[in-house]
Amino acid sequence: MSFTQQKVDKEIEEALVKDFQAGNLDAYDKIVELYQKRIYALSFNLMRNQMDAQDVAQEVLLTLFKKIHTFQGKSAFSSWVYRITLNSSYMKLRSKKKEPKISIDELLPSFNSTGFQQEKIQDWSENTESLLFTNETREIINKAVGLLPEKEKVVFLLRDVEGLSTEKVSEVLDLTIPAVKSRLHRARLFLRKKLSGYFEEYNSQKGET
Amino acid sequence: MICCKECIDLLYDYIEGLLDQETSKSLEEHFEECPPCIAFLNTYKSTTTLCRDTLNQIEIPDEVRHTLQSFLKENKDQQEKK
Repeated sequence: MSFTQQKVDKEIEEALVKDFQAGNLDAYDKIVELYQKRIYALSFNLMRNQMDAQDVAQEVLLTLFKKIHTFQGKSAFSSWVYRITLNSSYMKLRSKKKEPKISIDELLPSFNSTGFQQEKIQDWSENTESLLFTNETREIINKAVGLLPEKEKVVFLLRDVEGLSTEKVSEVLDLTIPAVKSRLHRARLFLRKKLSGYFEEYNSQKGET
Repeated sequence: MICCKECIDLLYDYIEGLLDQETSKSLEEHFEECPPCIAFLNTYKSTTTLCRDTLNQIEIPDEVRHTLQSFLKENKDQQEKK
């Protein structure tokens, strides 16, 4: 999206929010149309459950309706919506049974004493095209993302999946920029490792046939 | 010359184009002599693309969309009655 387009979108959005704050319900419908997919997708990616994501989306849309007067425009409207979505998703997650935690450190790269890589690294990056969008790949990716610890997962979803800027993520999560970068880097390392197992196996099987 | 560990620590900033010229140059020198780190760089980048493309495919299922619509309509009707 071009910079001017972004600017126009931002202005339209600000106008919609103002109209809605003034009591215009059509403006609310438009805001819902703009945001419901993003709200649903983020909560679905966090919880991986359609019913839960639906509950969260309902709750968030209702909160937007009821609390719009408390939005003061100190941060971007979208940041506000993302924060409400995250809070609501976390409330939901907390009410559920916790899955056993996995340590991210075990999956980070390891080095020898002189700082060189210890494991053999295969380059599978060129062979992913044929696998992309197969059900199996989708499942592997969903599972890998599901295993990410919450702190890293939310940064990864906002920055790499939703495409927010680092600055925006730091605003939504109230984190410093270095903290956002470090969590995102750890998330990517973790996921790379998880996907490597799958793609390397696929490559070696392909080599045999 | 920088080692693999430093190289991987710098990957994020390298991809974002945030490194100063000198650091960027020494990283590229490392890549020239270290195929495993090139493989790491390529797969690190692929990981992001693959995950993004997969997770972005999520659409609101029709039944959820309908539920949300009737929920919002009900809410609106209530407001208008007030």
